[in-house]
Amino acid sequence: MKRIYRDIKKYWNYLIFSAKADLKTEVSNSYLNWLWWVIEPLCFMFIYAFIFGFIFNASEQYFAIFIFIGISMWNFFNKTITYSIKSVKTNKAIVTKVYIPKYILIIKKMLVNAFKMMISFVIVFIMMIFYNVPLTWGILWFPVIILALFIFTFAVAVHLLHFGVFIEDLENVMRIVLRLIFYMSGIFYNLETRLPAEYSKILFNGNPMAVFLNSMRKALIYQQQTDWQLMIIITFISILLGIWGIKRIYKYENGYAKVI
Amino acid sequence: MSENAIDIKNLTVKYRNFKKYSIKKSLFRLKRVKFEDLLAVEDVSFEVIKGEILGIIGKNGSGKSTLLRTIAGIFSADEGTIDLHNQSISLLSIGVGFQKELTGRDNIYLSGMLLGFSEEFIKSKEEQIIGFSELGKFIDKPVKTYSSGMYSKLAFSITAILETEIMLIDEVFSVGDQRFKRKSYEKMKNLISKHDKTVVIVSHSLNTLEELCDRIVWMHEGKIIKIGEPKDIISEYREFMSS
Repeated sequence: MKRIYRDIKKYWNYLIFSAKADLKTEVSNSYLNWLWWVIEPLCFMFIYAFIFGFIFNASEQYFAIFIFIGISMWNFFNKTITYSIKSVKTNKAIVTKVYIPKYILIIKKMLVNAFKMMISFVIVFIMMIFYNVPLTWGILWFPVIILALFIFTFAVAVHLLHFGVFIEDLENVMRIVLRLIFYMSGIFYNLETRLPAEYSKILFNGNPMAVFLNSMRKALIYQQQTDWQLMIIITFISILLGIWGIKRIYKYENGYAKVI
Repeated sequence: MSENAIDIKNLTVKYRNFKKYSIKKSLFRLKRVKFEDLLAVEDVSFEVIKGEILGIIGKNGSGKSTLLRTIAGIFSADEGTIDLHNQSISLLSIGVGFQKELTGRDNIYLSGMLLGFSEEFIKSKEEQIIGFSELGKFIDKPVKTYSSGMYSKLAFSITAILETEIMLIDEVFSVGDQRFKRKSYEKMKNLISKHDKTVVIVSHSLNTLEELCDRIVWMHEGKIIKIGEPKDIISEYREFMSS
């Protein structure tokens, strides 16, 4: 535990600097690149809103915001997880030249993705004002849920980082798994109303992403109580999983350089 | 006064022929793979004295680079111990890990921070690094536009100016053009004259080693054959290689 704290402190400056540098690189490749951070989720929102709002007659209130919250959080999770699988390979140049705790690479990417997620959420808040969504204290849940999402994503990512080094086709498998989770998280439909209660209950208990999305929507736009009990359990398990993952990385990481 | 900077005891480093696994072959068999151990470094013990310049020679594949990487903490030692006495350490080798999309300047900061220096410290050395690297206005261009020579020059400059207490150097005297070679050689000599730096050099250019080093370690197939005075060892090594 002490070592985790010490390492994060030691590499904190590096984390911030390299996360900034990553963002800068994306922007410098083409000057309008940061616009894509906005345009991409917006376009997906329009697509889903059209297909599900128009063709399948989804009747959720504030459907556009409903989808946008889902996409923003999903993108963060999806991008971080996809990256973590090949993170050691991607950073081969660094990993074979200097020692760095490998999970630092994940945290760096999470900071980058979190920044983009925050931009998306700025749009969410703008839309909330535009649609006259009543503002409540529920908004205080926002940082809490984001933090829980952070911890959960990290816990999954550290384990995938480890196995990603040794298992070549993990990426292919995870692409399928992620797609499955995507559909089971209710990004563009409401799990609670669209599915019979017994099924949605299973999904909520087995899929933390669904819980996070649902809670965020309830807190921000529907003035309802969040699933805080489930979130506490998820966060607690995630912390344990995360520490386990970090310990495993500490144990094996100096072998990674020999494999890649 | 001859304090040890690095103590290496019975060091063994194995390369496992890790066959990379795929799910097809089932995740659970991962642990049952038969490892073919390949001993890259076998039962090596020696110490480096503080302020000393130690050279390591040996033919290709004799475990020199693996040894350096293990000392730097990039590889894990399978057996034995390495004691650095809490000193900072850096490994300099051809093609240090830069992020290609970023500018040279950003990479100075990233590399420096990875070596554990603070942003302020790097800032104070920034001009010196850029000056030494002779990159001029290229420093603000992305590293991917650099030629391989410029790339190595920048890498050398960063490690040479941001001095750590122990410096490991893997075959970098072939860096850059004639002029830069001489300059980096001078820089190394300069470091040597400061007696608080410990340097371990791996190189095939025997003349350089003979001139720079205090002692030479001769490795062959993962084992140390001899340690001793540069003159003796190098002449013996020359004989060995030409036979």
